[in-house]
Amino acid sequence: MVPYETAAIPIANPPATSSSTTTTAISKPPEIDGLLAGAGYKVRSSDLRHVAQRLERLETAMLNSPSQHLSLLASDAVLYNPSDLSTWVDSLLSELNQSQSLPSLPSDLSDLVSNPTALDGSWMDQQLPPPTAAIHNQQPSQLTVVEEDSGIRLVHMLMTCAEYVQRGELSLAGSLIQDMQSLLTRVNTGCGIGKVAGCFIDALGRRVFAAGGGGGIPGSAYETEILYHHFYEACPYLKFAHFTANQAILEAFDGHDCVHVVDFNLMHGLQWPALIQALALRPGGPPTLRLTGIGPPSPDGRDSLREIGLRLAELARSVNVRFAFRGVAASRLEDVKPWMLQVNPKEAVAVNSIMQLHKLLAGPAPIEAVLGWIRSLNPKIVTVVEHEADHNQPGFLDRFTESLYYYSTMFDSLDACALQPEKALAEVYIQREICNVVSCEGSARLERHEPLARWRERLGRAGFRPLHLGSNAFKQASMLLTLFSAEGYCVEENEGCLTLGWHSRPLIAASAWHALPETAAVSPDVAVVGGAVM
Amino acid sequence: MVVPLNTWVLISNFKLAYNLLRRPDGTFNRHLAEFLDRKVPANANPIDGVFSFDVIVDRATNLLCRIYRPSDTDEPPNVVPVIVFFHGGSFAHSSANSAIYDTLCRRLVGLCRAVVVSVNYRRAPEHRYPCAYDDGWTVLNWVKSRAWLESTDSKVHIFLAGDSSGGNIAHHVALKAAESESGIEVLGNILLNPMFGGELRTESEKRLDGKYFVSVQDRDWYWRAFLPDGADRDHPACNPFGPKAASLEGVKFPKSLVVVAGLDLVQDWQMAYVEGLKKAGQQVKDLYLEKATIGFYLLPNNAHFHTVMDEIKKFVSSNC
Repeated sequence: MVPYETAAIPIANPPATSSSTTTTAISKPPEIDGLLAGAGYKVRSSDLRHVAQRLERLETAMLNSPSQHLSLLASDAVLYNPSDLSTWVDSLLSELNQSQSLPSLPSDLSDLVSNPTALDGSWMDQQLPPPTAAIHNQQPSQLTVVEEDSGIRLVHMLMTCAEYVQRGELSLAGSLIQDMQSLLTRVNTGCGIGKVAGCFIDALGRRVFAAGGGGGIPGSAYETEILYHHFYEACPYLKFAHFTANQAILEAFDGHDCVHVVDFNLMHGLQWPALIQALALRPGGPPTLRLTGIGPPSPDGRDSLREIGLRLAELARSVNVRFAFRGVAASRLEDVKPWMLQVNPKEAVAVNSIMQLHKLLAGPAPIEAVLGWIRSLNPKIVTVVEHEADHNQPGFLDRFTESLYYYSTMFDSLDACALQPEKALAEVYIQREICNVVSCEGSARLERHEPLARWRERLGRAGFRPLHLGSNAFKQASMLLTLFSAEGYCVEENEGCLTLGWHSRPLIAASAWHALPETAAVSPDVAVVGGAVM
Repeated sequence: MVVPLNTWVLISNFKLAYNLLRRPDGTFNRHLAEFLDRKVPANANPIDGVFSFDVIVDRATNLLCRIYRPSDTDEPPNVVPVIVFFHGGSFAHSSANSAIYDTLCRRLVGLCRAVVVSVNYRRAPEHRYPCAYDDGWTVLNWVKSRAWLESTDSKVHIFLAGDSSGGNIAHHVALKAAESESGIEVLGNILLNPMFGGELRTESEKRLDGKYFVSVQDRDWYWRAFLPDGADRDHPACNPFGPKAASLEGVKFPKSLVVVAGLDLVQDWQMAYVEGLKKAGQQVKDLYLEKATIGFYLLPNNAHFHTVMDEIKKFVSSNC
């Protein structure tokens, strides 16, 4: 056994040049070992000795285990948050000490997931072609040296233009936009840098030339839904979000007979067939499921929320799941009041937010209010998926730069998609986001993406604690990706959360939370009191 | 012989986690490996004077590199060395975006005022020999042809570097460059605890087996995972100066800096490598660190770390 230092070691926090390289590094509390933090592990210096002893114990336990047991441990045990070394080692030790393997809930879900067309495609109005498993990796045309140079020039010009905008020099920005538009004609705008540059030049143009400041692309809720659906089909980001959230919700609902999901953005309800199916197959039988779907009001007299609800009810009936749906029409999430959701204290509640919370960040009040009432519902789980990007910085140039890199990566990942018209409409969907980030301000700027580290802080301050997503969710998400998508997508584990990215750049982050029980006094306005016991 | 506590925790954790990943039948639990690996994204915003970004070098194989550059706006020197770095992991573990290697590459930028190109090569057992070498060769050619990596003399000044399996890859890529009449000149090789072996059981392997985080059994596993089916450890990939390898005499091979840890069980093979280079008339400096274990260069908490960093700096700057 390798001996380690037994004398007390001064905390070796190195000079600033060496250790902290994590991009979303928030200042860590001083007692965390700085060198291990740089390697991605959080261990308090005072715990090092204890962790070392546990590691020694673990080694002995592994040596004494038959190798089949170790293989089983490796493939079946669900492991969480490898960054937290102390807990990690202890959980491995307890896994090794257990004789039984865990119940195989996840494998049921994976059976379902491997045949998704049965769930998503069959009940939909528009018969979109099912996602093809083999998406041929299109070879983009070879970039000539000239194009590469033009591409780089465009990027430089975009950055310069953004700087002019930040400094308020709009006429300089305007003439640069015209120069860029003419340079665009010499670049392939069908893919690669040309395509992304085109979107950003367009967005800058709207900002600079629009009368009355802020020219986002107008669009109806109906159009938004269509674009969203095509974005869902063309690339795996939303599928990953739905799948990961559903997995966590399923686990949180284990043992509960009355469950209630509150979906912050119903759209076409694409997330829910899979959950309904999984609940139907639950050992011991399905619970009673209520789904409350929030969405914008329909302008033309249709009740699109109700229509989606009806279809989901049909599906639930076909698999013998007792189901009830309620639609809540609201233009903005901050307009929703908890009493509209009619949560029953005896239910297990899951709150599901896919790319919605960032829209509340125009000021401090809306997000705090919404997180407050989420907490008052006493949810068993809150699933949150957000863009892994910092698009809400106060300085325009910083925001612009971040989003240029972010959306370049996203467009690059879309290049691999061969489905049409899904791909084209997905690009329009992304283009609208870019426009909002770049050309809108104030309450019109809804796409205020913030990175996972900052959401962790916010949710922590609002009284939520993380529920870690484990190695089973990770493995299944990875497998899902190989079924659906081109190579290049990667799932990563980030301290209990999962991210999906393209070529090592994480683009979206999925996390799960639960609320600490409120010990505060009863608020008479709120339908559900925090003291209710689940 | 004592290892700092945090290093011990780090390397022991790797050792035990890796035990879970290697299956007796030669397959590898890749999902769990990726779940466990601590990764960091690239960052175009400079941190401590270094920024990074990822580039796809070959779409067909999804070959990525992470480029690290110094961000200082001082007058750049006439010559900026480009270090093509191959991370370790015994051919099976880690990636260019693994936190430990991101940290190491960032250090090299500051140390050598260099651009570092970290290669995300394909790994065993899914991709055996020669995939990793092919990926290294692809990147070397790519680096050579980037106008934005040229120094003021319109040439790209290239060094190859790597630790563990990365050191092995660096050797073979340099060899290919020398033998291929490509005109690509590699100015120097930096090999940190390079991974070599052979059929023979050397004295150091017997003496140190299982004593300092590494065992002969796990080394054997990784060679079986990397080498072609049916090959033994005297295959030239594993044993470049062994009975099956071609001579390096007369080959225009770059000068080498080979760092050997005195508590690494593979050291006899590493010293044999140094001897092999010398006998073939090649320029080589070996740095033998008596009390170092594997991975000593990952954390800056020991004297060997600083010794090695100084040597690397001298090695790279002597050409610039």
